Amino acid sequence: MIDRLEKNKNRPRIDFKLVSGILGGLIFFLGFAMLLPFIIALIYNEASWDAFLITAAGSMTAGGLLFWNYRPQEELRMREAFLIVTLTWFVGSLIGALPFTLSGTLASYTDAVFETMSGLSTTGATILGGITSDGIQNPAIEDLDKSLLFWRSLAHWLGGMGIIVLTLALLPLLGIGGMQLFQAEYSGSTSDKLTPRIRETAFLLWSVYMGMTAVQFLLLWIHPAMDWFEAINHAFSTLATGGFSTQNASVAAFDSVYIDVIITVFMFLAGINFAMHFRLFTGDIKSFLGNREIRFFTLLAGLFIVAISGGLWLIDNYSFGEALRYGSFQVISIITTTGFGTDDYALWLPFTSFLLFLLFFTGGCGGSTGGGIKMIRLMIITKNIKREFRQIIHPQAILPVRVGNRVIDSKILKTILGFFVMYFIIFAIGAIIMSFMGYDLVSAMGASIACLGNIGPAWGEFGPTDDYAHVPYFGKWVLLILMMIGRLELFTVLIIFTPWFWKN
Amino acid sequence: MKILIAGAGEVGFELSKVLSEEHHDVTVLDERQSCLQRVIENLDVLTVEGNATSPHALVKAGARQADLMVAVTSVDEVNIIASMMAKRLGVKSVIARVRNQELSRPDAPITPSELGIDVLIHPEESAANQIHQLVKRASASDVVFLADKKLQMIGLRVEIGSEVINKTLAEVAELYNELSFRVIAISRRGTTIIPRGNNRLMALDHIFIITKTEHVQQLVSATGHQNVTLRKVMIAGGSEVGRLLAKKLSADKQKWVIKLIEPNKEVATEIANNNRDILVLNGNPTDPNLLVIEGIQEMDAFISVTEDEESNIISCLMAKHLEVKKTVALVSKSQYVPLSQTIGIDAIVNVKASASDEIHRQIRQGMLLTVKALTGIKAEIIEVEAGKNCAILDKPIHSLKIPDGIVIGGILRNGLAEVATGQSIIRKGDRVIILALPQAIKKVEEMF
Repeated sequence: MIDRLEKNKNRPRIDFKLVSGILGGLIFFLGFAMLLPFIIALIYNEASWDAFLITAAGSMTAGGLLFWNYRPQEELRMREAFLIVTLTWFVGSLIGALPFTLSGTLASYTDAVFETMSGLSTTGATILGGITSDGIQNPAIEDLDKSLLFWRSLAHWLGGMGIIVLTLALLPLLGIGGMQLFQAEYSGSTSDKLTPRIRETAFLLWSVYMGMTAVQFLLLWIHPAMDWFEAINHAFSTLATGGFSTQNASVAAFDSVYIDVIITVFMFLAGINFAMHFRLFTGDIKSFLGNREIRFFTLLAGLFIVAISGGLWLIDNYSFGEALRYGSFQVISIITTTGFGTDDYALWLPFTSFLLFLLFFTGGCGGSTGGGIKMIRLMIITKNIKREFRQIIHPQAILPVRVGNRVIDSKILKTILGFFVMYFIIFAIGAIIMSFMGYDLVSAMGASIACLGNIGPAWGEFGPTDDYAHVPYFGKWVLLILMMIGRLELFTVLIIFTPWFWKN
Repeated sequence: MKILIAGAGEVGFELSKVLSEEHHDVTVLDERQSCLQRVIENLDVLTVEGNATSPHALVKAGARQADLMVAVTSVDEVNIIASMMAKRLGVKSVIARVRNQELSRPDAPITPSELGIDVLIHPEESAANQIHQLVKRASASDVVFLADKKLQMIGLRVEIGSEVINKTLAEVAELYNELSFRVIAISRRGTTIIPRGNNRLMALDHIFIITKTEHVQQLVSATGHQNVTLRKVMIAGGSEVGRLLAKKLSADKQKWVIKLIEPNKEVATEIANNNRDILVLNGNPTDPNLLVIEGIQEMDAFISVTEDEESNIISCLMAKHLEVKKTVALVSKSQYVPLSQTIGIDAIVNVKASASDEIHRQIRQGMLLTVKALTGIKAEIIEVEAGKNCAILDKPIHSLKIPDGIVIGGILRNGLAEVATGQSIIRKGDRVIILALPQAIKKVEEMF
């Protein structure tokens, strides 16, 4: 113990060699993942195969060299973990954007990075099919190479459960300090640990994720409207709560009740903590059904389905069946921050539109692939408000905030309140920048929350049938940073921009 | 019987006193000299100085010869270890006080007998149980269930304006001839009377009645108590007793509104975290402002169970002043018990007494089924089975020569319970309920 302290004394505050080493490993892995779309390109005999090969080979070489040179030997500390996770996601997007540019599909590298970050962060906002601020016409989704479409969905899928969690699961290279990295990337609580060793937990989470993806893929594939390629893309996109589709009209293009139902169900499942799914599959039905967050999530989703479907039926004059079909699909799509569309909700009347807008501020359960504020936080904040009222009546009472039988420590409560305030501040900053660029109130607010919450489509000029191509370049960078901040749950990214991170 | 008592604290002292008065050979083991000094000065027992977890000390205190060891030090772990060792050393039976409820749960991974403990006792829990009964039966000062809950012994105060005042017991029996009950003791200004038919009841007498459970209600109103059910309870003090009581009340079928006041913030937080249905207040239980803000005047019951018995009495008086229907105080000094009855506190609960009750019951186990000391009077309620050597079989009770200080209160035969009258006959195998003054307890054992 003492000699370890001795050794640590000479370590810099942030050990950049260690950071580069692990980052190298992660980049290597990302490059390796890009061999999959390369294979797709070969199968469909597409011209973009060389773009993927160059990117994959390049990042594997670079990452491998970094890793080889600065093999992690020291123990990882929390600061370095935050830096590694943030850098991985940012650099990962920069690298993942290369195939779009190298294949000549997208003229602007900014657009390519935007699209990749939108993929990795499971946002699902696209610049495809639109005209950029300097007048370039981006190709429509249907005109894209299949390999590139696949890469978009794969990015969702990798980002959904987390690049680092996946790497932890598959490669032993991050053996040291894996726990810190896991914490900095994973959205659930660390009490979700399923096994004593973090690597096994990561592996189990990914197995559940992969298994569920496979089931959904099969269920979609048996429907005649989808071929295997479309089925796998939509399965990736659904389980990651992403929102990229292979069709410009999103899921509406298939116009099938069966597909709507399957995707609704799997979006809902993806919005639930995957550690709980694991418990469910191991036969622990009681703890799944008894989980307060899942109950709250189900209740909230149910309430909004009733309200919005009812609104669509009675106010928007949909038929009852259509109201239920489109209403429930859209509610689950937004509450889980997926962002698929079967109906253009921008055309809904004020009441139903407003209810849906409220859902932009929700998000799935902690530990799910969904983004946003997350159910557990909303639940605890609601309970805290209730408590504050009670405290006024009983000034000397001790009133704990409970989730199930667990008492929420006041420290955690403060963190959650801090998150909540921070979330709205960042949302406001994003909206201010967008309005500065000339977007109207609804569009500016919509774009900001849709990116921060990893939802994708928003309102006004960013509605479900529109795209993000027309945003000026600076605005695109702001939005893609918002996506990353939202995906990594604010603090992991923001801490790096505080002075305390760099000082002792 | 040779009895070894480990721990000369309050419970140990009380117990040594009771047992030595009953002519048992008692040895007390403790490492605190001051405690032993008090025992030597007051009681006719042997004392040994030493640690209860030391085998040498146990042997020195006679563990090899003892029939029974009672481990009642203040520390659970010491009691457990002492019990394990004592059993190895050859003590026939071991009673240990263990507050932690893990051992007593039915699903306990290690049972008490595996640790050499024959009987676990938990005085705080018994006290909490007692208060629980009292709160349920609003007007009574004592509630004891007898004969499989078919009979009850209740203590009631005869209120001013009741129709039984100035009547002899014979007249009272005439007045309520449809009820079966028997007044077995009267406590009047600190003296205990074993009544005959010609005794008159006076206002503010504290009477003890054995009756059928279904007749309790009518008797309560006969003594001038309004029929009330309680709903809102305020508990002052988050002591072990307070905590257990709150837990029991919140587990009841009846919905209680429970408020608990605890001055220590950490203790209060812990209670609040573990009990969902209780409103825990952090403050001083004797602070009138807090009590008023939290609506003490709307409370049905006020139960003061802090460690400080004087403040228990004071805050109960304050509650009584604000017309709380029922007040219960935890009081350990036996000198205070008669006092509190006179100044109007409805019931007194004594942890030490309930501890020695429990142990007492265990010591006499086999023959006697229930032993219960009453608060306020020096007498015990005993439930006993009539064996074949019983001296009083097959004769009407009025023709028997029952020793002084013994009253036969009820009989349970084949699952049917009746209140004993002069004509009742005791048969073999009956369970007989008896009230006995301390000096007469030995005679009870002889009779049966």
